[in-house]
Amino acid sequence: MTSLALSNLAKSFGPVKVIRDIDLSIDDGEFVVFVGPSGCGKSTLLRMIAGLEDITSGDLMIGERRMNEVSASKRGVAMVFQSYALYPHLTVRQNMGFGLKVRKMPVDEINQRVDEASATLKLDVLMDRFPRELSGGQRQRVAIGRAIVGNPDVFLFDEPLSNLDAELRVHMRAEIAALHGRLGNTMIYVTHDQIEAMTLADRIVVLRDGRIEQVGTPRELYARPANVFVAQFIGSPKMNICPAASIAREMSGDNLELNKAVQVGIRPEHLRVAAKDAGNLNGRVTVSEYTGAGSLLHIEVDGVGSFLVAEEGQVGAQQGDVIGLAFSNDDVHLFDKDGVAIHR
Amino acid sequence: MTPSEKTTTMAHASRVPWLTLRRKEALEAWLFVSPTLIGFVIFFLGPLIAVGLYSLTEWNLLSQESTFVGVANFRDALTVNPDFWHVVRNSALFALGLVPMNMALALMLAIALSRPFFGVVFFRTIFFAPVITSAVAWAIVWKFLLQGEAGAVNQLLASIGIDGPNWLREPNWAMFAVIVTRVIKMVGLNMILYIAALQAIPRDYEQAAQLEGASRWQVFHMVIWPLLAPTTLIIMVITTIGSFKVFDHIYLMTGGGPENGTLVLAYYIYQQGFEFFNIGYASALAIIMFVIVLALTIVQLILRQKGSG
Repeated sequence: MTSLALSNLAKSFGPVKVIRDIDLSIDDGEFVVFVGPSGCGKSTLLRMIAGLEDITSGDLMIGERRMNEVSASKRGVAMVFQSYALYPHLTVRQNMGFGLKVRKMPVDEINQRVDEASATLKLDVLMDRFPRELSGGQRQRVAIGRAIVGNPDVFLFDEPLSNLDAELRVHMRAEIAALHGRLGNTMIYVTHDQIEAMTLADRIVVLRDGRIEQVGTPRELYARPANVFVAQFIGSPKMNICPAASIAREMSGDNLELNKAVQVGIRPEHLRVAAKDAGNLNGRVTVSEYTGAGSLLHIEVDGVGSFLVAEEGQVGAQQGDVIGLAFSNDDVHLFDKDGVAIHR
Repeated sequence: MTPSEKTTTMAHASRVPWLTLRRKEALEAWLFVSPTLIGFVIFFLGPLIAVGLYSLTEWNLLSQESTFVGVANFRDALTVNPDFWHVVRNSALFALGLVPMNMALALMLAIALSRPFFGVVFFRTIFFAPVITSAVAWAIVWKFLLQGEAGAVNQLLASIGIDGPNWLREPNWAMFAVIVTRVIKMVGLNMILYIAALQAIPRDYEQAAQLEGASRWQVFHMVIWPLLAPTTLIIMVITTIGSFKVFDHIYLMTGGGPENGTLVLAYYIYQQGFEFFNIGYASALAIIMFVIVLALTIVQLILRQKGSG
């Protein structure tokens, strides 16, 4: 097991800076997830750690060793690609043993390690098949198996579940979490899916435009987002944001302590539907989306803006209804004029 | 009558009972393929049948006398005429020299030019340009370059102390010279096919191998080369077929000489038909060449099916 330290790490493609001064420490055995919207640089950062992209400036330490100029194969990392990158002309066994074969390991030892990995991942019956004969989930497991047999210090996952259907994604997510529990290696996982990030990570790194917006545990990011971007990126449906002055003017009940806030945020699941005039705000339902366990309501509040409300239960408000919206002041997030959180 | 009534009446009038939707679609399909079909019949199937019929005759173009001789032309070519097997041997030699040299060079160029770098389009154009250059111009230029002592190639060799041969006049060197000049002319085509195949291989494979510790040679040998197999097979077969059909290059550079050292099948057919006016015999030779090329095509299909299976 190995720790990583990224100091002022930067990457430019010509004049375009894609990674800007990243400072991050990852502990032994930690499961860290890089999350962010498309184009934020999360995959590039992972590839820099892997050695597949040059580092423009800064330092990358894996363990005690500076790795900037060390070739990819000597960094002690293994990577699971988004496309799986299984060699189509090789069987599952040959794919898994490829790395050991090129390192001239004895055949007996290759077979032993491949068999151990296949048993761990329940791939035994698939060993003589070609990748084209496997389902998406099986290919994913083979790709993970190929990473395991090399016995790396650090596992890197580049959006490994994005090609799977929703059901299989949930299943594989649990398998990866279980695998981390069993192996205990340091793992870095890239995804744009915040649910994946929340469920898998010990710590989440939220990236935007090549910069770290916030690093923290899933609970920290949800409960105390550092800024509007993180507040809206973490959580589904995303947090409602509205002007602080207008909500303070329109709301009834306890006064909201604004503390110089310019914007306020309230998560959809923290808003409750009440009878008209019985909540903090009144609004009209413009759209009601039935989701099974409840409904997602789009509510227009005059003078404030529109809100998403996650309402539980089978008998929800209907389009056109005028309803009250209730919330606790403790659930209101405050942000200054730059979108930075004001913590109370 | 309102415009809508007029349209409705016209629609009823144009409805033909036998023209069902299925027949209408079939008719449209035939209309679309008919230009190609007509061209195929006039320029390929018709001449092929005609050659087949001529091959069964002894027909002298000058005397205009034609006699049905059955398979005598084929029997003569395959069992009596010693020149025929010499010519087939030359064609095979030409193919055996040209195909590996062309493919190896095409692959090396494709590997060098498949990745973007400054000037890559310029270099691709330079290597592809001979493919679209006139065969006549190409052959004439090379004929000058490969002249005995006065040729530029020999003068270049002389400048480094090598006494070059008379390339196109010495039997041992003439075949080598036409093969090399043909390779330089046609290598661009295979280079483009290899570049397309290389660019279709996802970079993830290479990077995954690189991460697992494979050297550049191992990446090529264990990952890239096997993935190029279908393209290699196609290139091998079309280049072999092309080399059996070569005519213009030989005609313009050596005329089949010296001492019939570069006399290949296609040129021999031309000689028989248009220099000796034995149209029937030339047709029989053309049919034999057609069978050879067809056999190579079938081999290609079988190998492709096995490869994809």
